[in-house]
Amino acid sequence: MTVRVLPGSVKIFSGVEYSTDYKYMCSDPGQNLIKEAIHKYRLDAIVVGSCSPHMHERTFRNAAVSAGINPFMVEIANLREHCSWVHDDIESSTHKAIELVRMAIEKVKRDKPLTKINVPVTKRVLVIGGGIAGIQAALDVANAGYEVVLVEKEPSIGGHMSQLSETFPTLDCSQCILTPRMVEVHQHPKIKLLSYSEVVKVEGFIGNFKVTIKKKARHINEDLCSGCGLCITKCPIKKKAYNSFEEDLAFRSAIYIPFPQAIPNIPVIDETVCTYYKTGKCGMCVKVCDRQAIDFDQKDTMLVADIGAIIVATGFKLYSIDKKSADSKYKGYGEYGYGKYRDVIDGLQFERIASASGPTSGEIKRPSDGKEPKKIAFIQCVGSRDDSKGISYCSKICCMYTAKQAMLYKHKVHDGEAYIFYMDIRAGGKMYEEFVRRAIEEDDVKYIRGRVSRIYEKNGKYIVKGEDTIAGMPVEIEADMIVLATAMIPQDNAADLARTIGVPYDKYGFYNESHPKLKPVESTTAGIFLAGACQSPKDIPESVAMASAAACKTIILLSSDTLEREPVVAKVNEDLCAGCFYCKKVCPFGAVEVKDVKDINGIVYKEVAYINQGVCQGCGTCTATCLSKSIELAGFNNEEIFAEIAAL
Amino acid sequence: MKDLREHTRELLEKGEIAAVIGYRQVSEMRTKPVIVTDPADAEHLVFNEYCLNNLAVYLTKARIKALCRTKDKTLKLAITAKPCDVHSIVALIQENQIHRKDIHIISFNCHGVVKDFGCEFNGDNLASKCITCETHKPLYFDKIFGEEKETPKASDQALARIQELESMTHKERFEFFKGEFDRCIKCYACRAVCPLCYCQRCITDKAIPRWIESSSHQRGNFSWNIVRAFHLSARCTGCGECERACPADIPLTLLNRRMAIEAKRSFSYVSGRSLETPTLVGSFNEKDSDELFM
Repeated sequence: MTVRVLPGSVKIFSGVEYSTDYKYMCSDPGQNLIKEAIHKYRLDAIVVGSCSPHMHERTFRNAAVSAGINPFMVEIANLREHCSWVHDDIESSTHKAIELVRMAIEKVKRDKPLTKINVPVTKRVLVIGGGIAGIQAALDVANAGYEVVLVEKEPSIGGHMSQLSETFPTLDCSQCILTPRMVEVHQHPKIKLLSYSEVVKVEGFIGNFKVTIKKKARHINEDLCSGCGLCITKCPIKKKAYNSFEEDLAFRSAIYIPFPQAIPNIPVIDETVCTYYKTGKCGMCVKVCDRQAIDFDQKDTMLVADIGAIIVATGFKLYSIDKKSADSKYKGYGEYGYGKYRDVIDGLQFERIASASGPTSGEIKRPSDGKEPKKIAFIQCVGSRDDSKGISYCSKICCMYTAKQAMLYKHKVHDGEAYIFYMDIRAGGKMYEEFVRRAIEEDDVKYIRGRVSRIYEKNGKYIVKGEDTIAGMPVEIEADMIVLATAMIPQDNAADLARTIGVPYDKYGFYNESHPKLKPVESTTAGIFLAGACQSPKDIPESVAMASAAACKTIILLSSDTLEREPVVAKVNEDLCAGCFYCKKVCPFGAVEVKDVKDINGIVYKEVAYINQGVCQGCGTCTATCLSKSIELAGFNNEEIFAEIAAL
Repeated sequence: MKDLREHTRELLEKGEIAAVIGYRQVSEMRTKPVIVTDPADAEHLVFNEYCLNNLAVYLTKARIKALCRTKDKTLKLAITAKPCDVHSIVALIQENQIHRKDIHIISFNCHGVVKDFGCEFNGDNLASKCITCETHKPLYFDKIFGEEKETPKASDQALARIQELESMTHKERFEFFKGEFDRCIKCYACRAVCPLCYCQRCITDKAIPRWIESSSHQRGNFSWNIVRAFHLSARCTGCGECERACPADIPLTLLNRRMAIEAKRSFSYVSGRSLETPTLVGSFNEKDSDELFM
């Protein structure tokens, strides 16, 4: 594209008073050229042929404002992305550039000055997910003085961190550092905790979301329950349901509290196993509860909250090696027995076994027979970094927690042997590499670089067949127990939730940040922020850092009383509107309302669409859908668009 | 016939309805639409094989709606509707033009109408839409008359015509429609009779910007007929009134029918068949086919 011919070529178009070119129009001297031209030629509208409006539209609009022109009288012809970057043929791309400028000229001639819209900001934040990221974000926002609604789908907050035994690289007790934060959430006057609840609908937009939350029935009156736990002790159903907090390594009763430090300390009745829901009899819990807190008839309730900003911190789950259905994006590990060996466990199960509050009270025992394993094998990258299993990425935390688990094992079983099969040791982090070296050098953990091709059972032992790629020879280990560092994957309903709240996600189901470098905690939807492993695999410090960053972004948003919005919003011509409400059906923001039109006697004679300007995001879907073309989008009205096309 | 007249007279006398939109015999083989507000006029109402018009078009007319508004309450409108016309009523309800509670649908077990006024009904000269009709009993009604009766089936000539057009090349097809549209005189009779063309001001009447050239040359004729076909995609219920009304004999239902076939094939949607199903236009399902995206 030949830039220097452009000013002369476009000067001849009707309405053009002055045209020029400059190499860096976005620079200060460039902007000054614009301002001077506005004064000298008494210009009332500007067309800039430059890079994408995404980059510098604001720059040029501000320049126009400082020279006394309405910012919406500036149009950008995108000559970089549409001409110079994409075409080789100089002559024809120059011609295209001239045409694009000509279109912008025709549009700017019809542009009307617009005034920015101010919308109020609701000073309340919704945090979705009560793991460590959600807890941190909620506390930071609440400590800044804003109200927080914290929604957790499980009966207790705490998330995965509450299940861990010790944390790397310091080996401090996970619950000991987490539970004070949980208590703080519970006691914070600014935080409203909704446990055992799920977000089912999000409407509205930045500063003004309307969120519907389903509070699932616990069958306990939360106001009456004192958390004494007598109902749990007396519940006769003890062995019908696995304890998911213990990663299915133990049972729980039909009425239960997930773990002793649970917040809130209020039980839940599991309808699927409770005798009362099956036969209508039992009611032991009712008999022993002296506060009459048991309520078998309790139903799910819906709450609606006005919210200004949302922090999504829904975390992750672990991939399992089980056989998968044909339509699953993941594949299981037939070579490791598809999960049929009871002593082949995953990392979280090992955390429970190693935890002092776990099913074995912290003694390392294998699940099948309760014997202490004398030889243990850890296998890293199970699922992760393996395209054939459907997961190409590195789960990031497994190198560290495997080293930690091997170390914990050696600390508890002094005569035991620990082997770790690894692909690479990725220990980037403060004191991380030193931690791994300590496992190898001080605790004598044996690292074998190579993949395990098969695991099978033989005489109560598990034969691990693999390869030592450094020694260049096959390896075979007879292990008593095997721990798989399975991949971190998004929660099962991550994609559904993303669609509910309106954030984009990647092919795995992790939520997308707005910019990988400069906007790592913002989602691409304004007013919705991300924290923790819902965005990608993360360890605790990273999740906490991200949560605080998201909280900070949220606080910035709430710090002003109103938000300035672009005036690019749709408006209905009520005389012409036929009231078919296709616009209402297609509006992704719920901005279209039904408005009654009354006659002189006050009788409604027609219904028309009304667009709430505060909610409208100017996407233009309604204007395109409207059959009678009775909706106009300010800044992009039909006349302007038509003129652009006609100029081509 | 007697039942119909008695029923409507009774409704009018009781003051439950403001008017009956019905048919009146004007000659032996011709009827015309009539709006009855006086109980004494109910005796003119008829229903027979010559009731060609789709009366649903009158439901959205401001002057008729105004009949229903009194100071203290809103009266109902009664309409005599063939089962196929009920499809149009369903579509109008779905598009918020009328409310189900505000209308009283009087329908009939239908065995077809003649293809044009002046043709003596002999069971063979049915309107083309009747040949392929599958709804002889109305899907929604408040009062029904007539007995259910077997209806003769004949070959679907319109479908054969569509398949013939589809086998053509783009250029041939363009030439075909160019030939047809060339006769268009922009009288907008198709729009006037269409129950779903209820816009207060049609896009073709707008001047800023001028969406559709109003003169009857090729560009304007193409714009008008194609825009109409698009606006009726997945909305047209196939009543065929546009083609019947066209003074230039343009085969308009070919376009509408083709779009309806696409809606059914791609989305299993047939317009005007169910009040419970959301309209295809304006509803999104994750499982919708992507193949229509280019």
